[in-house]
Amino acid sequence: MARRTSLPVRIGADLVGIVVFLACVFPVYWMVSRSFLPRNRIKGEDPVFVPTGGTLDNYRRVFSDGSFTDALVTSLTVTLLTVGVALLFAFLAAVAVSRFRFRGRRTFILTLLVIQMIPAEALFISQYKMLDGMSLLNSVIGLTIVYVASVLPFTVWTLRGFVDGVPRELEEAAMMDGCSRTGAFFKVTLPLLAPGLVATGVFAFIQAWNEFTLAVVVMTDPDKKTLPVWLVAFTDSRSRGVDWGAIMASSTLITIPVIIFFLVVQRRMVSGITAGAVKG
Amino acid sequence: MARGTARRSHLPLGLVLPAALALGLALGYPLVRQVVLSLQEFGLAQQFGQAPEWIGLGNYRELLGNGELWPVVLRTVAFCFVNAGLTFAIGLGLALLMTRMSKVTRVLTQCGLLLAWAMPVVAAMTVWQFLFDTEYGVVNWLLTALGGDFDGHSWLLDPWSFFLVATLVVVWMSVPFVAFTLYAALTQVPEDVVEAAQIDGAGPRQRFVHVVLPSIRPVLLVVVLLQVIWDLRVFTQIYTLQKAGGVSKDTNLLGTYVYTLGIKGGDFGMAASAAMFMLLLTVVLTAPYVRMMLRQERDA
Amino acid sequence: MIEGNEAVRIQKTLAIAATTALLAVTSACGSEDDGGDSKGGGPEKADLVVWLNGADTPQPARDWLKKTFEDQNPGSTLTIEQQEWEGLVERLTTALTSADQTPDVVEVGNTQAPTFTTVGAFSDLTGDLADLGGDDLLPGFVDGATVDGKTFAVPYYAGSTYVFYRKDLFEDAGITAVPTSMTEFVDAATKLKQKSGKADFSGYWLPGKDWRDGAALLWDAGGDFAAPDGDGWKGTLSTPESIAGLTAFQDLYDAASGAPADANEADPVTPFCAGKIGMMSRPGWVYGMLTDPKSGCPKLAEKVGVFALPGSNGGPAPVLLGGSDIAISAKSPNQDLSRKVLELMVSEDYQKILAEAGLTPARESFASMLGDDEFAQATVEAASNAKLTPAAAAWATVEGKFVLEDLYSEIAQGGDVAELAAEADDTITAELN
Repeated sequence: MARRTSLPVRIGADLVGIVVFLACVFPVYWMVSRSFLPRNRIKGEDPVFVPTGGTLDNYRRVFSDGSFTDALVTSLTVTLLTVGVALLFAFLAAVAVSRFRFRGRRTFILTLLVIQMIPAEALFISQYKMLDGMSLLNSVIGLTIVYVASVLPFTVWTLRGFVDGVPRELEEAAMMDGCSRTGAFFKVTLPLLAPGLVATGVFAFIQAWNEFTLAVVVMTDPDKKTLPVWLVAFTDSRSRGVDWGAIMASSTLITIPVIIFFLVVQRRMVSGITAGAVKG
Repeated sequence: MARGTARRSHLPLGLVLPAALALGLALGYPLVRQVVLSLQEFGLAQQFGQAPEWIGLGNYRELLGNGELWPVVLRTVAFCFVNAGLTFAIGLGLALLMTRMSKVTRVLTQCGLLLAWAMPVVAAMTVWQFLFDTEYGVVNWLLTALGGDFDGHSWLLDPWSFFLVATLVVVWMSVPFVAFTLYAALTQVPEDVVEAAQIDGAGPRQRFVHVVLPSIRPVLLVVVLLQVIWDLRVFTQIYTLQKAGGVSKDTNLLGTYVYTLGIKGGDFGMAASAAMFMLLLTVVLTAPYVRMMLRQERDA
Repeated sequence: MIEGNEAVRIQKTLAIAATTALLAVTSACGSEDDGGDSKGGGPEKADLVVWLNGADTPQPARDWLKKTFEDQNPGSTLTIEQQEWEGLVERLTTALTSADQTPDVVEVGNTQAPTFTTVGAFSDLTGDLADLGGDDLLPGFVDGATVDGKTFAVPYYAGSTYVFYRKDLFEDAGITAVPTSMTEFVDAATKLKQKSGKADFSGYWLPGKDWRDGAALLWDAGGDFAAPDGDGWKGTLSTPESIAGLTAFQDLYDAASGAPADANEADPVTPFCAGKIGMMSRPGWVYGMLTDPKSGCPKLAEKVGVFALPGSNGGPAPVLLGGSDIAISAKSPNQDLSRKVLELMVSEDYQKILAEAGLTPARESFASMLGDDEFAQATVEAASNAKLTPAAAAWATVEGKFVLEDLYSEIAQGGDVAELAAEADDTITAELN
């Protein structure tokens, strides 16, 4: 899009950006800063804005029994599998739906939409029964299957929008230059889809990473808990009360992989765009 | 548009197949069962093996007839439109602004959005509760420090105020997705096309309406639609706030209502029929919009 | 648009494939009708899984259980899987239906137990009651888990709240003795509040949604939430006694509590350490949090004394009895071995470990295990007249829908007691039948 922006507009945009940044980050800052406070300073008459004289106790408690690592491994496996499989399937389907007209196409699109409309809180018991029948309870594969299906409708729809957004003329132009249709697609269209793939990939990652309703019933084996399920151990205990410090510390830890994932794909995709642009 | 040769004509089906199989495998049975359950008297006893009794539309009759439903529906629809509207407006505005920002601020804004998006829901809800706590909340502390009379103000007590807080939380959680996706769509608009329009003498507004908008429209429409759908079934935020304060029966939305019927109430037949009702409501509410989308693509 | 036979053929294949996949899944999941009435039996050696919730069961108890069971049953193993209270009902609702994945023995909250007893999720323990302690088991718990003369769960441990009070504030307000009747208690709470002169100070800390402690006032006045009515149940909050009890709650909230009308009782530590509480009803473990320099305020905690909430008729007031039950999954293939686990868990040795951690033992004759300090005495006294919520199968629904939180919170906000009670009665009656 137009990069030539007049200075006043840019300054205005920058100011809004900074305000938005602060509004987005304040709750996150509150989480991270609380994670360094002992329980009796987390909540109080006068809020503690800067955690001076903080403590690592919360983190020590979170790491104490080694269960964090188990949950991290499970969560990472399930999430990365989900993102990989969902993006691949969704990408293929989006191309089909966007670039071809075939029978059943509309039904497919509408089905995807309707699936999105069903509340997960109503479905999970049936999904449990299904996984039980397939002997896939407490299994990474079982959870992944359901997660893939739950992010697919969104990813297909969104990616299809992105594919639609790439003018067919570009591909045709490339074909005139001697590329095969497939070649034109990979050389011209795919690089332009990179931002869309990043956006949907991040979406799929966060959905799978934070999902709770299904994971809490499917992964009952303590070694197989996903991070959100593992986290609730700190929210509710009759003999300890709510352990806010540990919630904040573990939530901070849970947030970090998402950021890493984003940074990694962002860089890859940005270099992908430039590479494509040069060749195209 | 039969542009393919015979050899290529089965390609689209092949491309759709993996996604269709995955969906059929993971959702086929649960969806069918959902419909079946909604026609049965199915409680905990049936869950543990007693034979369920078919009662036809009995669950639906009870659902529609008990007077609890309609206020919940009205509340849900209003909440959904306000939230989806706000989220979309803020998200789009932000996406447009991001294309105008200097690189540093843009990265900063993106990081902020990502952090808000990535924060685990449990943590986000805990922090929002801290911020709006009646006795020790930062919001009350700040407003009091600024001279207001907010000492011990209960934000969740009054349903209007409850939904104000809920809206703030839901919008805060959903804007990142909208802004990210729309910004991605904007960056996808080929720069040379925009430049060409500029050379042809198109002003910024014209460029936006005639070049940028058509190109991001498919994504735009999807984002609006999905936002409406998600805001119709919002659950966790409302449920957590209900536990934290306020009066539950005055603040139920369909999501929490279905949950109280099913898991809390142990009546899965009713919960299934409520879920089907929600599905129907969503279809009805979004039908004009979906029709528009489909019509447009026939033109395309 | 795809034309021609090829496309049609592919479409057909696809449809068939999808249908077969669906059918395979449906039939695989269709085997859900082998009833939950397993009557004992099972192999002599097996690997048992016990679900315990949260960190409430102390580690030494877990170690003892595992070791003792495995010693007594060579060849068998016992694994304790810790589950969380959050999401427990969802987990039990699903996991107990799976012949494959069901745990053998589960812990369940005592008010959650009736939900699962009538539906066939737990094995019938009636014949084993004698071996498990018989009449010595806490009777309220056994009643709550009994339907039509059959008992499906036994008590694991109990716990009820008692009153923490600030000795120094008592002195300042000129209260010389610990209250021994409800009237004296209300007086003391009011005096403390007046003495402080602060709106957010609680002579007696009573957040609006705290129906669990509010229940004591309802029961003390002779009222109750619901009573059996013919074959079903009926909400009884509108009886004159109940109205009196709910009004007493409203009066006490007005006169003595500074807690928000829509807050719950989850966090007593913060207001206590802010010096905003004169008295509060809390379970014993809260004391540990108060004395811990990282979570509480040891200086203020030094000034704490405890007593059991006094009732109107001389004895302690009827407070809500909380705690856990243990039961055997009806789907478990290891019924006999599971019964052995249950026996161990209500045995003297095991219960002693729980008692040392401050949990009230599952058998009445073990009460002395709690010790004889101030806290133990308050525990024992409070438990002696403690009551349970109505033993209706659907009671958990009433709690799940926050009916009582809404009721008490609206009363605390100054609502019309009779009107709110009548409304809540309708809801409760509808839910329980």
